[in-house]
Amino acid sequence: MAEKILSAKTNTDIVAGEIIVTPIDLVFAHDGTMPLAIQQMETLGTRDVFDPNKVMGICDHASPSPSEKISNVHALMREFAWKNKIHFFENGDGICHQIVAEKFAAPWKIIIGGDSHTCTHGALGAFSTGMGSTDVGAIMAYGRTWLKVPESFKIKVVGELKERVYSKDVILHIIGEITAEGATYMSMEFLGDTVDRMSIESRMTMCNMAIEAGGKTGLCIADEKVKSFLEAHGRGNEYKALSPDRDATYKEEITIDASCLEPMIAHSHRVDKVASVAEFEGMEIDQVCIGSCTNGRMEDLRIAAGILKGKEVVKDTRLVIYPASRSILIQAICEGIIETFLRSGASIGAPGCGFCIGRTVALGDGEVALSTQNRNFKGRMGNDKSEIYLCSPATAAASAITGKITDPRSIKG
Amino acid sequence: MIKGQVIRIFPKDANTDEIIAGKYKYDELDTKKLASHTFESIDPTFYEDAKKIKNPIIVADSNFGCGSSREQAPLVIKACQVPCIIAESFARIFYRNGFNIGLPLIECSGVASKVRRGDELEVDFDRGIIRNITKSEEYKFQPIPKFMQDLVDASGLMPYLNAKGGFSEQE
Repeated sequence: MAEKILSAKTNTDIVAGEIIVTPIDLVFAHDGTMPLAIQQMETLGTRDVFDPNKVMGICDHASPSPSEKISNVHALMREFAWKNKIHFFENGDGICHQIVAEKFAAPWKIIIGGDSHTCTHGALGAFSTGMGSTDVGAIMAYGRTWLKVPESFKIKVVGELKERVYSKDVILHIIGEITAEGATYMSMEFLGDTVDRMSIESRMTMCNMAIEAGGKTGLCIADEKVKSFLEAHGRGNEYKALSPDRDATYKEEITIDASCLEPMIAHSHRVDKVASVAEFEGMEIDQVCIGSCTNGRMEDLRIAAGILKGKEVVKDTRLVIYPASRSILIQAICEGIIETFLRSGASIGAPGCGFCIGRTVALGDGEVALSTQNRNFKGRMGNDKSEIYLCSPATAAASAITGKITDPRSIKG
Repeated sequence: MIKGQVIRIFPKDANTDEIIAGKYKYDELDTKKLASHTFESIDPTFYEDAKKIKNPIIVADSNFGCGSSREQAPLVIKACQVPCIIAESFARIFYRNGFNIGLPLIECSGVASKVRRGDELEVDFDRGIIRNITKSEEYKFQPIPKFMQDLVDASGLMPYLNAKGGFSEQE
């Protein structure tokens, strides 16, 4: 599917391995990557973007700003955005990938983001991949970039998921199987009846973590569910079906029987150190985090609220929840989900990256966090003397109630 | 041609948080200041040790630079005067970022087990050969693709684009 999208965009019949130059439909960066992209762009002798409608900036990584230095970085971005009249999203609007999914991503588009988790938008059939600030700066100026056309890795997921086993458990299992470098430079294409039945939100969780296996992008087919998602966001006219050719070639293929999977955990400090929750059951945790571009959407919050409703977070364990966008926070308020969280003892953060990169919530020395995010590298949450475990929102919510890593099926609700 | 000394051999999957922690990268746009935190959490003496060596070459096992898209990772390494990194393989965003900022990255099979810390190396980019002067050995590597070599020759993507006036239709 990656080759199809890139061929269509460049009007040439390209094949994996080629280096091509392609126009870009959207380029974006955040407060961790945009300031450097602006600096790099200036070395081209310009501060003018190629097309303001195809450039987006956002303050999400350290948002709301926790320091004067970061406030100054945000001010630099604001000035650039204002002068260039690009799309700009503020502190509290949400995480870049959620905003892009809601407002920009669509099948067959090519999206480049100054963030490694840009691969998320493959869930909507877009070829989307993360790049560094220099690449972003060059695209902001020229509207084009060079790409090596990736080979494809077919990941077929079949069968019914068990109760309280979700797409997060599936992707953790896949990364555990193929390792952190198993899909390096490849397009990870998630196919099979399990993926077909998944919501767009669940597919986003899968594609979001493609980079954790080294993937250049994650991709799902664009089907009726993508169409409904786009219609719900007022962009139904951007829908165009996408599926792999019958004779598509793949460098690698695996099939996962989803019906065998249990709730999974990735233990510190590697995303591919994956085990079933059962193997870590009972391990004490200090902080539980629900949110991030991996699992901060309505589906995730509804699952967590379903488990937490009428229950309380155990003493000495903190639960922090960051909805992925402003619209998700509003919807969660309307559905009473935020009240459920607050009554359970959770603290709610402004939509943004929050705990995931430790800028607005950091761990203490020796603390253990259980989080729905995508990455558990040493020091990721602001302290290299802490440990991070990754899981689904259901496992996170259940564990917040007990203060220990807990199988979500053991909690009623 | 680059001649230098192996400063470290990093294990597989050395990630961008280890290269430069996220807690520093938002606060500081000056790469030279940021560089004092290079590899801080896994190798606190790296920065000082790099100062003592002329052309400190990093050698690594596979998937070096995995993780985030932060360009600060290759930038701080370059700011430590590292002239090139030789690894079994690189994570793809780091690989792009390296060439874009003019830091050549070489993929050489078996390198992490063949060289030792302190070995004197001579890297011949044109012929795709690394000479280990200390051990009197030679290792072959796939020469860098022409487009990437053009980036290195230009000292990075921005000087390259400045010289060419943008991207040509087909590179």
